[in-house]
Amino acid sequence: MSLTYLASSGVISAEESISALVPKTEELIVGLLGFLVLLWLLKKFAYPQFEATFQERTAAIEGGIEKAEKAQAEAAAALAQYQAQLADARGEASTIRSEAQAERSRIVEEARSEATAAAEQVTSRAAAQMEADRLAAKAELSAEVGRIALDLASRVVGEALSDDARARATVDRFIADLESSSQEGNR
Amino acid sequence: MSSTIVAMAHTADPGFVPPGIGDFNYPPIFPGTAVEWVTKPLLASVLAAVLVFVFFTVGARKRALVPGRFQFAVESTYTFIRNGVARDVIGHGFEKYVPFLVTVFAFIAVNNLFGIIPLIQFPTLARFGFPLMLAICSWLVYLGIGIRRAGFFGYFKSVMFPPGLPVFIYPLLAPIELLQVLVVRPFSLALRLTANMFAGHILLLLFTLGGTYMLTNENLVLKVLAPFSLAGAIGLTSFEAFIEVLQAYIFTLLTALYIAEAMSEEH
Amino acid sequence: MDPQKFTLAGPLVYAIAAVGPGIGIGLIFAAYVSGVARQPEANNILRPIAFLGFALVEILALIGLVFAFL
Repeated sequence: MSLTYLASSGVISAEESISALVPKTEELIVGLLGFLVLLWLLKKFAYPQFEATFQERTAAIEGGIEKAEKAQAEAAAALAQYQAQLADARGEASTIRSEAQAERSRIVEEARSEATAAAEQVTSRAAAQMEADRLAAKAELSAEVGRIALDLASRVVGEALSDDARARATVDRFIADLESSSQEGNR
Repeated sequence: MSSTIVAMAHTADPGFVPPGIGDFNYPPIFPGTAVEWVTKPLLASVLAAVLVFVFFTVGARKRALVPGRFQFAVESTYTFIRNGVARDVIGHGFEKYVPFLVTVFAFIAVNNLFGIIPLIQFPTLARFGFPLMLAICSWLVYLGIGIRRAGFFGYFKSVMFPPGLPVFIYPLLAPIELLQVLVVRPFSLALRLTANMFAGHILLLLFTLGGTYMLTNENLVLKVLAPFSLAGAIGLTSFEAFIEVLQAYIFTLLTALYIAEAMSEEH
Repeated sequence: MDPQKFTLAGPLVYAIAAVGPGIGIGLIFAAYVSGVARQPEANNILRPIAFLGFALVEILALIGLVFAFL
């Protein structure tokens, strides 16, 4: 050793300086025994506990997840049920509504047909009334016209024809002619 | 002295004495007795083992499903190695090696952190003996796995003659690979740990001893500059804390890698 | 020789030994950082690889450190 050093403990020789690198026997033994005993003790007392704790924790977390999944499934079932009920109610409402619609249109139809029938009845009654009136008026008129014509003819001829059957037949023929001609004219 | 490039002679005052290897040789605590061999690093390593044991047993004892603060810290340490190192690196069948890896990590980390803990302030693993033993433990573990998997000759054959290479490479590769597995790996594991702790400890010593020396010096300039040196020591302390845990992680990670390699069918 | 002499040979040995690993560690972590930046989900795969490379390179500097004290 050509190089020399100073240490805080003083001047040291080459042998001493190298001795820090040469392991001492007691250090080897104490180091090895310390480590091996430590390893054995920890393997016996500490590490299995850690693994057990980790497994318990994993199980706990997994159990928690399972519980949460179950709750979620329950919630989903409830939601589905609720939605089904809602759909039922909605369908029911729509059938009720369509029924009401049909009912309404039926009622309206009924009322309309009733009204039409009533109107027709009124109209026909009025028509019958008118016909009757017309017939009555015609009968009255024909009698009146016969008398007037007889009056006129007796005044013209100068003799009383009132009781004569011949005269009456003449008047009737005359009126019939008049009617037919007027009907032809109407035609 | 041909290798001496610059020599700085200190005259009357011995001046500042830089920290060196001598600072790592501790005197016996009970000199002249039967237990003369007990030194501070030895006691510290035993204390570290006790601390790790207490840390894990107390953390594992409660077994609460919802962990408290302390239990969470202990479990995080365990799962950090279990999932971050063992499971990610080894893969299938990693459960068997989790105890070894966690113990290695915790033991190394606590021993290293002694480097910045007041009153102890010595990283035990800067003494080469301790990391050498740990490295030999992991060496035995991965050799044992490989030999149990493929048999003694089968394992060394798979180490020395990895398939799929041109034949003329093997005379070159085989001794290198054998040396790598048998010697280089354990020694590099141990040396990495020791040298890191050694360098970190020297750095801290340099800044603190230097700062103290400057503070007590008559020279006014040195007195003014001393706080910077001490502040540097404080900053480096937190840096060392990081390095110490990182080295424990690296040791564990490399061990896991070696185990994974010994376990895999093709080399 | 004079034991009071403090030589710079050891520090220089380490200084030279630290150059290469310094560059190497820089390259390793640069690649790691850009890899994670490109694919953040690959972090768990890249981290052990990066630290493995870091450890392999670092040991060179540490061997230099040991030789500096011999």
